[in-house]
This record gives sequence, C-alpha cells and structure tokens, in this order.
Amino acid sequence: MNNIRNFCIIAHIDHGKSTLADRILEITGLIRKASMEQMLDSMDLERERGITIKAKSVRIPYKSAGGQEFILNLIDTPGHVDFNYEVSRSLNACEGAVLLVDASQGVEAQTIANANLALDAGLKIIPVINKIDLPNAMVDDCSLQLYSMLGLHIEDILHVSAKDGTGVLELLEAIVDRIPPPQGSASDPLKCLIFDSFYDAYRGVIPHLRVFTGMLKAGDKIMVKSTEKVFEVEEVGHFSLGLAQAAILSAGDVGYAVALIRDAGEIHVGDTVISADHPEVQAIPGFRMSQPMVYCGVYPIITSDYARLGAALEKFKLNDSSITFEKETSAALGYGYRMGFLGLLHMEIALERLKREYEQDIIATMPSVIYKVVTKNGEIQMLDNPSKFPPEGQIDHIEEPMIRARVIVPTGFVGPCMELAEAKRGSMVGIEHPDDKRATLVYDLPLAEMITDFYDRLKSVSRGYASMDYEMNGYRSADLVKVDILVNNSAVDALSYISPKEGASIRGRALIYKLSKVIPRHQFKIPLQAAIGSQVIARADIFPMRKDVIAKCYGGDITRKRKLLEKQKEGKKKMKMVGFVEVPQEAFLSLMKIEE
Amino acid sequence: MPGLYIHIPFCISKCRYCDFYSLAGNDDLIDRYVSAVVRESEKYDGMSFETLYIGGGTPSLLGARRLARLMEGLHSHLGFDRLVEATIEANPESADGDFLKTVWSMGFNRISVGVQSLDDDELKKSGRVHSSAQALKAIDFAFKCGIDNVSADIIIGLPGQTRESLDNTLRKLGGMALTHISVYCLSIEEGTAFAACPPGYLPDDEFQALMYGYVSGLLKGHGFIHYEISNFALPSKECLHNLNYWRGGEYIGLGPSAASHVDGRRWKNASNLKAYIDDPAIAGFDEDIVDAETRMAEEAMLRLRLLEEGLDIAQLTRRYGFRESTGLEERLKNLAGQKMLVKRGKKYRLAPGSVLTSSRVFVDVIN
Repeated sequence: MNNIRNFCIIAHIDHGKSTLADRILEITGLIRKASMEQMLDSMDLERERGITIKAKSVRIPYKSAGGQEFILNLIDTPGHVDFNYEVSRSLNACEGAVLLVDASQGVEAQTIANANLALDAGLKIIPVINKIDLPNAMVDDCSLQLYSMLGLHIEDILHVSAKDGTGVLELLEAIVDRIPPPQGSASDPLKCLIFDSFYDAYRGVIPHLRVFTGMLKAGDKIMVKSTEKVFEVEEVGHFSLGLAQAAILSAGDVGYAVALIRDAGEIHVGDTVISADHPEVQAIPGFRMSQPMVYCGVYPIITSDYARLGAALEKFKLNDSSITFEKETSAALGYGYRMGFLGLLHMEIALERLKREYEQDIIATMPSVIYKVVTKNGEIQMLDNPSKFPPEGQIDHIEEPMIRARVIVPTGFVGPCMELAEAKRGSMVGIEHPDDKRATLVYDLPLAEMITDFYDRLKSVSRGYASMDYEMNGYRSADLVKVDILVNNSAVDALSYISPKEGASIRGRALIYKLSKVIPRHQFKIPLQAAIGSQVIARADIFPMRKDVIAKCYGGDITRKRKLLEKQKEGKKKMKMVGFVEVPQEAFLSLMKIEE
Repeated sequence: MPGLYIHIPFCISKCRYCDFYSLAGNDDLIDRYVSAVVRESEKYDGMSFETLYIGGGTPSLLGARRLARLMEGLHSHLGFDRLVEATIEANPESADGDFLKTVWSMGFNRISVGVQSLDDDELKKSGRVHSSAQALKAIDFAFKCGIDNVSADIIIGLPGQTRESLDNTLRKLGGMALTHISVYCLSIEEGTAFAACPPGYLPDDEFQALMYGYVSGLLKGHGFIHYEISNFALPSKECLHNLNYWRGGEYIGLGPSAASHVDGRRWKNASNLKAYIDDPAIAGFDEDIVDAETRMAEEAMLRLRLLEEGLDIAQLTRRYGFRESTGLEERLKNLAGQKMLVKRGKKYRLAPGSVLTSSRVFVDVIN
C-alpha cells in the first residue's frame, strides 16, 4: 500500500487539466503520443465544451527517479460548479490534489472553490502553475495569488507546461514524495466509497470504488449502505485505459466492481459499500442524494412521441443518475416530463444529449428553481413549476432559493460587475482585494437570476475576465409575481414564469417583443400578451402572413410542388402546435436571454 | 389518354424571374430538336389525346415551318381525332402573322400570350425582350387569324410596378376581348437572375396581396370566373389541359423537363437538351414512386386549387380504393376547423382568405 498514490487534478475550466492528464499518461508510457487526444474527455459534448462532465479514472504504473515502483491512481473530477458535490466525493477518494493554475489567467473562482473543497477533505495540495510556455505567462503574479488567496507556500509551487511536457516529471516526483500513501488495513472489514459509476448495457451499473479498508473480490457479497441492498460481486478490476480485470481490490486501491446492478437508482455517488457479512460498519460521512436545483418541462414536439421520450429518459437516467424526471401535463403542450438538474449547465448538457444521443425532438420550457410558497392558511408548498402556483389571492408570501456567489474580477471591472449584481437583485456580502490587480466580490443572489443569464452577462460586462463560483445559501422572502403569457388570447401554461414584481412590465415587454420575432406569421393575426392575474402588462401583435403560394402550378410537374411542400412541412415539424399557433422551440427559452 | 404536353426549351433570352427549363441562344438546335420530339413520341405510338399544350420556353420561336413539321411528325404516331383543345404559347416578339396563321391552320384553337405587363419599364427590368405595343399586336393578330380563345399572362409584383401601372395594364387588356387571363404573383426562385441579383423597387408581399384581391375583384366584375388560384376565365373558357392537371388526370409530356402522369406513376424527363437531342430514349427521367395515400393527398392538394369546383373527399377516397375515412379526411376537417378550408355540402374549398397563403394549407393536406 505504501507504493500507492491516489490523487486528482483540480482547476478552473480551461486551465489545462485534460492536457496535463494526457501528458502524464504519455510520459509514464501508458499511451503513445497523439494516439488519442485528451484521453479522459471522451464524450463528444465534453470536447466541444472543453469540460469534463463525468469523472473518469486511470491507474498509472510509475517508476520514480529513485527506482521505486509506484501505482498512481489519477481520479478525474468534473470541472463545473453544477457538480460541486460530485467533485467533493471524488476528492474524498484521494489523499492529494494537484491544483492547477493557468499562468496567463491566474487564480480564478473555481480554483478557490475546488482548493477549499480539497482542504476541507484534508488533502495534500500540490500547487502547479501551468502554461508557463505562453508569452503572457505571469508566473510570479500567480505565485503571489496562490499564497495570498489560498495560503500556499511559494516554494512548494511547481512550474509546468502540460503542452510541451516541461516540469511534468518533477510533478510526478512531487506526487510520490509529497502525497501520503493511503492508510487503512486490508484485514479490517470492507469499506469503500462510490465516487462515480457508469452503465454498461450487458453488465449493469458499474460503481467506481475507493477501498479504504478490507478487501474485495469476485464472489463476495456487498451491501450498499444507504439502501442495505446486497449484491454479489462478479468481477473486480482496475482502470487502465479500459477496465482491467484483477483478482482482488484491497485497502488503498481504486477500481471497479461488476455486481449485476440493474438499476442506476441503486448506486449513488458518495454512498458507502461494505461487506454483507459486516453490516455494522459505519458509512463514510458526507453522503447525500444529489439534489436537483433547476427544473424544466420537457415535451415531445410530436405528441405521440411521449412514450418514446419516456423510454429515452429511463435509459438516460441509467447513464446520469443525477437527473430526475416525473410525468407532467401541460394544457398547452400535452403530456411530457418535469426534469430536474444540478444546475443550468447540467440542464443544457442533458437536453443536448437527449437530442443527440437519444434522438428526441423535444421542447424544453423555461428553467425554474424551487419556490417556497406559503399560503394564507399557513401551508408551505415547494413548487418547481410556475404553472402550479396557487392563485395570487391565496398566497401569503413567496420565498426563493439564494446562492452565495464569489466573483473574481480585475479591479477595472469591479464597477460594472457590481452594477450587474445589483440589477440582478444581489446584495453584497463583502469585497476583498487579494492583490492590487484583482477583487473578490461576494454577493448573495437569487438562484433564479443565476439560471437565466447572469453568468453570460458577467462575462460580457467584464470582457470575459470575471470568473465565478457559487454555493446554495438558503431561502429568502421576495416580492414575486407569476406572469402569464397569452398567445392568441389563451394562456400558455408552459410560458408562465415567476418575476420580481419590480420591473415585471419591462421584462414582460422584452419577452413579448422577443416572442413576436420568433413565432412565425400565420394566416391570422396573433395577439401576444403578458399578464399578471387579469392585468395585462405588455402586448404585441404578430401580423398575418400575406403570401405563401405556389402560383404557377402547371407544366404538370406536380412532384416538385409536392416536394417543396414536404420541405416546408419538415420545418413545421420543428414547431409545437399551441392551439392553432405553431410555436418554435426557441420561444420556450426566450425569457432566458432577454436583452434588457 | 387526355393530355399531351410538348416542351419547347428555347428562348431569345432568359427572363430574369424564370425558373423553367429553357436555354437562350441555341436556335441552331431547333431543327434537330423537332426531330427528337417526334422520335420520343414513337414511344407512345397509337395513344390518342383530348388536349394538346405546347409550352416553353418560347414555342413561337419554332416558327411556321418547324411547327408544321412537328405537328406532321406527331400525327404519324399519335391520335388527335378526339382533340377538343389545342393550345400554344406565344411570346409577343415572335408571334408574327405567318406563325399565327400556321397555328390556326394546324388546328390550334387556343393561344396563350406571354404579356406579363403592358408597362415598358417593367418589361425591361424583368428581362422581357418585347414591348407592350408588340404584346397588344400579337393578341390582335391571333384574333384576326381566326383563333377566338386567347389568354394572356400577367404578373403582379414586377420590379417598379405600382397600383397605377398595373391598373393601366389591366385597362388596356380589358379592350382586347380576351377569354382567359392568368395572374401570377412574382416569386423569386432559386437559380434565377432575380435571385442572384435582387432588383430594386420590388413590391412587397403586402402590395402583391392587395393587388391580387383587387385584380380578382375587377375581373370577376367583368364576368370572369376565378376558377384556379392564378387563373380567370369567361364561362366555359377554362383551360381544359390545365384543368386535367388539377383534377389529377393523366398526361404525357414530351421534351426535356416535361412531366408525365400515367397509371399512378409520375415521371419527369431529364432537363438536358443536348442529351435529349442525341437520343430521347437514353436522356433519362426521374420517377417518383409514392403510395396510394400520398397520391390521394397530392390529388386533394391539386383539386383544392380549383376555387369553384373544390374537392369531393368522399368521391376521392372511394376512387383511391379506401373504404374508411383516412388521415387525409381528418386533416381536411382540422383545416376547416381552422377556417382555412370551407366545407359546403360534400365539398371542401379554399377559404377566400387562404388562397394567397395556400401553401400553408397544402402543407397540412399532404401526407
């Protein structure tokens, strides 16, 4: 066990985590150069967005400068704030963390958030400044930031270029020298942490495990602590570039277990796996079921695809157990599902995967947070769907979920960022100046503002320099109203949204204007209205389409005319019929990106 | 076999809005082309037709001598004993007295003149190679040669067109004893000169819609029947050949790009003049194979173009051999519910307000 090192790499997005992982695999000889770009990010979407969605791990044999053989288990972590809990579980599977900072960018909000998670988990941190090959690398500034913002010692900081390999060997040496080997005895009863899982169509859910004590082999009976369900292990193994079967996993090891677990709902990240023979073994603290924070309605464009969508969601859930879904009906959209996500990014990725990988033509409604609605008779309702709100007269008050956001920004952009935060109903908690170039703004903000366009706007007012991280921070009472949207004089429940009372009509007007641009002209005039109760706060009309005709229909080439119409019909299929009005997909998300 | 269409893919120059298959500046090929059409007609040896329509392109570019040779050649293979209507299209610049006399003597009883506008500025901007005076003269000639069934095409929405200029065109045409007028709304089609280089002063859809309503009212006031989306005729002067298309009838098309419809099959000759001249039998064609339900919906879409006649869905369903009501009938009901179609008695018709947006209706009619 003394030759095992379990570690992860933590970094702000785009600071080079995947490139460093690739270089480590290459230098240790596990993969040949360029045999596969960025090994660890294998989902297409991850590559497009440059982020890691699902954590993955790899076991790396390494012979140190001193000639000693080591096993390095690199545990990949998701790199986005939506996946904070998953990150903390991955960290718990390690004894050390490589904290990566882009030399041209410096310490960013997620650097701090992840570093704090690692410190909380008691990990040994190896600070690394990456991209030192860049002409605009500011190695000294970064060192000072690591010291002043995180209290890390400057003499401990390594300088690396993951791109050209400079300093990577030194980093590997630091990993074996500085990170302690795992503790825990193989002769004690089994105790493992589930830090990830994936679904295999033939072998079921395969949990990724960090063994803390005891041993695990094929034939053992294991128990999942939170559910007390027992499974028989069929196979155990390590993560090489694929799964590598092994005879045994013992204390200190990282690996997988195949145990014919059919239901992804049985395996949750953070849960503890023990031996069925020793049910008395305590769970590893910190486990919680991942909680969706953001919800939206998901409906098939073609009503009859409802069953197909349900089947796709079942399958999807096997792959990503952090989504939730339940049946929902909408007067406007028919039968569909209410889906829950960890955050906005998670939602965007999940919906995109539903479309691409599961080939579903769907309409997604505006994302919503969970509101706490207190009625006049004292009842508390937790509502994730504006259309389920009780009539205004019955509501005593509404509370909304809050976040505490930490924004790191160059001092020149502090003004615009503060203006934005205040426009988004934020209240300042504090401002820090870790050095003379940057400021850290701490704000309490409604989560609802976060999931619309706060992050995009923050990037835009700071010309891309601001970075942000947040954590949930309870509920706060707010003056909110439900706004209904009427299309062609009937309320479309799927377009209803919750808005702060102040400025509701400005937002309403902006939304109506936007809808009037995305809903195509029809044969008849379509009035659009935004209303609070019976009070109309905004209105616009879509004027009728005047001409859409195949004037010259002879010469006998009927086929061509039919094909033109079929093409037109294809376009129409991308729209959802709401009453007699065809509403395109983007209309349902219009509210998210309104220019104010 | 009711209809025979012959395509003449030659023009003096290409109009800027035209997306029909025709080539300018290939006059030297016309003689060989006539021979090729006759050769293609051999394939249909013994068939006999009730209507004949020679369109283009510019059929009047054939001239008297070649038209005579074409007709003689066709007569040696095809039957015209039952012919009730024979139309030829003529463009003002090439419809001279000589040609029109031959037309009459060959048995043509209907002429369609490509007038488009009687405003010289509009004609020029659209790439037409004739003047308004030539157009009026061609119509006059046709009547003088003894052809009493004369149609004119006009276009709404030409560059530079105004309500006044359109009114002027209509007033001049009103004095010409026309029996039939086709009124098209200009649309910019892919691959045309207008698409490549959009003209300035192009009237918008709103103008077209207003003018369309205005022209329709005006012609109806003069006894014309608005019998198809783009066509107006005095009673019993509807174009029988075109009616056959819109009623889902059968026809043979000769020439490159010409379409045929026989026994539920639709095919279209390749749009390749040179290959066709070399050998019509190997120039190729595209066939569109679709199921009965699609064909039925297609016919429904065509019949709905007939604003007066409309569509008898029960009859159509029976004719295609469906016993129960089909998805098509459901779709029609829905459209009637949305007031885009009107159902009176057994028949569905386009609602007056939906004529100019009929593509939106037909999108829901087709399968």
